[in-house]
Amino acid sequence: MSKIKCDHCHLEYDEDIMIKDDSLHFCCKGCQGVYHLLKDDGLDSFYEKLGNKTIAPPLTTDNDVEKFDTKSFEDNFIKTTDEGFSRIDLIIEGIHCAACVWLNEKVLYDTDGIVEANINFSTNKAKIVWDEDKIKLSEIILKIRSIGYNAYAYDATIADEKATKSKRDFFIRMMVAVFATMNIMMLSVAKYTGFFTGISEQVRNYIHLGEFILATPVLFYSGWIFYKGAYYGLKNCILNMDFLVSSGATFSYIYSLYVLFGGKGESYFDSVAMIITFVLVGKYLEVIGKKSAVDTLDKIKSSIPLEAIIIEDNIKKVLPINSVKVGDIVELKAGEKASFDGALESSSASFDESSISGESLPIDKQKGSKIFSGTINCEKVIRYKVLKSYEDSTLNSIVTLLEDSLSSKPKIEHKANEISKGFSVLILSLAILTFVVWYYFGIDLGFDYEGAEHFEKSFIVAISVIVIACPCALALATPIASLIGISELAKNGLLFKEAKYIETLATADTLVMDKTGTITKGKLKVKKAKILDDNTHKLNLLYTLLDSSNHPISNSVKEYMKNNFSLESKDLFDIKSIDGQGVVAKYKNIDGKVFNILGGNMKLLKTYNIDYKFESKNSIYIFVVDSKVIATFELEDEIKEGAKEFISNIKKLGLDVVMLTGDNNATAKNVASNVGIKNYISEVDPIEKAQFIQDLKNKDKNVIMVGDGINDSVALAKSDVSIAMGSSADIALSVSDIVLLDNSLNSLELAFTLSKRTYKFIKQNLFISLVYNAITIPLAMAGYVIPLVAALSMSLSSLIVVANSMRIKLKK
Amino acid sequence: MIDGTLLMMLVVALVVSFAILGVFIWGAKGGQFDDGEKMMGGLLFDSTEDLNDARKKEQKKMNAKKEQKKSKLDK
Repeated sequence: MSKIKCDHCHLEYDEDIMIKDDSLHFCCKGCQGVYHLLKDDGLDSFYEKLGNKTIAPPLTTDNDVEKFDTKSFEDNFIKTTDEGFSRIDLIIEGIHCAACVWLNEKVLYDTDGIVEANINFSTNKAKIVWDEDKIKLSEIILKIRSIGYNAYAYDATIADEKATKSKRDFFIRMMVAVFATMNIMMLSVAKYTGFFTGISEQVRNYIHLGEFILATPVLFYSGWIFYKGAYYGLKNCILNMDFLVSSGATFSYIYSLYVLFGGKGESYFDSVAMIITFVLVGKYLEVIGKKSAVDTLDKIKSSIPLEAIIIEDNIKKVLPINSVKVGDIVELKAGEKASFDGALESSSASFDESSISGESLPIDKQKGSKIFSGTINCEKVIRYKVLKSYEDSTLNSIVTLLEDSLSSKPKIEHKANEISKGFSVLILSLAILTFVVWYYFGIDLGFDYEGAEHFEKSFIVAISVIVIACPCALALATPIASLIGISELAKNGLLFKEAKYIETLATADTLVMDKTGTITKGKLKVKKAKILDDNTHKLNLLYTLLDSSNHPISNSVKEYMKNNFSLESKDLFDIKSIDGQGVVAKYKNIDGKVFNILGGNMKLLKTYNIDYKFESKNSIYIFVVDSKVIATFELEDEIKEGAKEFISNIKKLGLDVVMLTGDNNATAKNVASNVGIKNYISEVDPIEKAQFIQDLKNKDKNVIMVGDGINDSVALAKSDVSIAMGSSADIALSVSDIVLLDNSLNSLELAFTLSKRTYKFIKQNLFISLVYNAITIPLAMAGYVIPLVAALSMSLSSLIVVANSMRIKLKK
Repeated sequence: MIDGTLLMMLVVALVVSFAILGVFIWGAKGGQFDDGEKMMGGLLFDSTEDLNDARKKEQKKMNAKKEQKKSKLDK
């Protein structure tokens, strides 16, 4: 059998299962439909643009577009623009490449009545403006669906719009700074070369003039942010880093102006531009990080259903979720997410609670069991009674908590501000002291004024103190080492969202780990299998039965059977799946004899009165033909390779390790003792996890949290540094500070050792720049630093810091 | 004499580069660089047809806004 590409989605399938259409092949009806639609509308250049990339096959969606035209939807999501058009913000599902963006925008623009359609590729957010008189929103949604994508509405808050705007503003300021600095650097090369090879006074002045023209927008346009920051700091009586940067740059600028028009000495326009640009780039990266966190939150919110079906006196009614009251009965279709916390009214149900508990297995529920918001109804239509309104629901409280923790975070920034505050005060008082001493006592002390004016010389010396102390090396010390450290970490699949986490990681004292997906693989595997009757025919029946169910246990056993036997499918009939127990079916052989076959857990055997004893701590699967047990399987969540060594190595680095899990106590104890963790806490929900982290932090611990699910996200956001595994839920990734791409514990350990190494170099760099300041500031105060030396030593100190940081790359 | 040439070159270079910076800011303010990935992908779509489409999009937006204004005034 040869694999062949689907002509629409480009995914490869076996040739014989493809739909043939002349010379074309499609994997499904959806792809075929979309392909012909695009062809007929003359949009087939989409495939040219798509190239060799693959996209997801179109989704089959239910017909629920009427909801987009309802009043409640309009009130919640549709806004009116200044021109009187309607506007909505959507998240488009299924966008994988630039061609997808092109196709959606093109189709929307070609539709009559749509005024504007702008899709953001990175975030999948779309802004659509249309004329309500010409087209309805449901038609627009249908248009998007017809080409194989789907759209959800999300509530674009004002904060979100502001974030986009401030990001753009920052970007322009940064690009102006980068542009000017690059050009100033080229002029500087000419200037410094001229210094050694000879340059006429006039040419040097031209260069100064050019530098002046370029540096001015950098200081006053790009550097405006620092003035603003310094102003707000001063208003609150704080001398912050912004103040130091802006005052240093301003004084250097003023001094350089004096040089430019006085015609004597060296200008510092290049230093002014460089400082502003470097610090600005660092700040921009921070702004982007915050913006992307907001985007992910919106994705989560958009998947929450907006309205619910209420049963009132046996009549179905559709209500927006905000107007559903406590005590209402809500109907939920299979595959839908529950919006409320409630109690089950139907006799039984099965729920995927992975979003809340992190456990991958569907949980079986009986009448009266608690239903949690955010969990997915797996099997059939059920009804449940609402116990809490949407505002108080578990899901909503998680989203709110996340929003809060995103807006308040670092402790270290505070520390850095403390240091720079002290430094600024020190330098400013030293400069003032210098001026006072030179102006009032200089003559008595016999200072050399080199024939200059009394005031002028005193002023220049005082400024040279500020200029030379201007935190070039100091400002570079941390970012350069961090940058190199981060790129080294990234090469090993460790993505740090911000540089400051290197420091936190290096100084942390407590490591909190989630169990599922972090210490264990989070995937069930057959641990013990007993085949009591290895008749191939019967094993084929088992295989077919397994194939008929989508339960994770069935899937794992199926995988095991596929790997160990060569099997084929048979024709079963009367297949019935019993919730929380297993599957039963019938089979008729060639002689017309009918076999009753069943596969499932002990409960199923009890239901069918089959007497069989089997005890295990693990999940089990038993296969029975005509009341005779054919095979038994024990399944267990596997511990990751190297977990034990990892824990003992981490302990050697001086960290306490704690395991948190929503799982039951027996399983937790088993895993903890296997990997050598003494402290573990079981049966905790997401809020309790977060509380636990908060308690540790209140005890002045530096806490690192490692997790992978939505259930960990609040705890992740609360911790000092949060680490997410690469395969994690989107939300966990967005709130975490560090992402491990390969999920292995080895790389987690590497994150610790490399951070510690980088941190060591940061400290070295700080030491170097402080020593530099300790030597040059007294010299400057004494008036010994001629401007050229100041300029050279400033570059030199920066170069030393950069060179030292490069040593991080050298392997021990 | 040479100094004069140098000054002229410097001025011309600065004027040209500031003009380019101005164009860049114009584009950035219009939101062209808001989405880095889309921009990079979009670079590849530069056939005549694509460029015409882009122009059509702008025109459609402007026309719609004009019409709306007119109908508002009529009311």
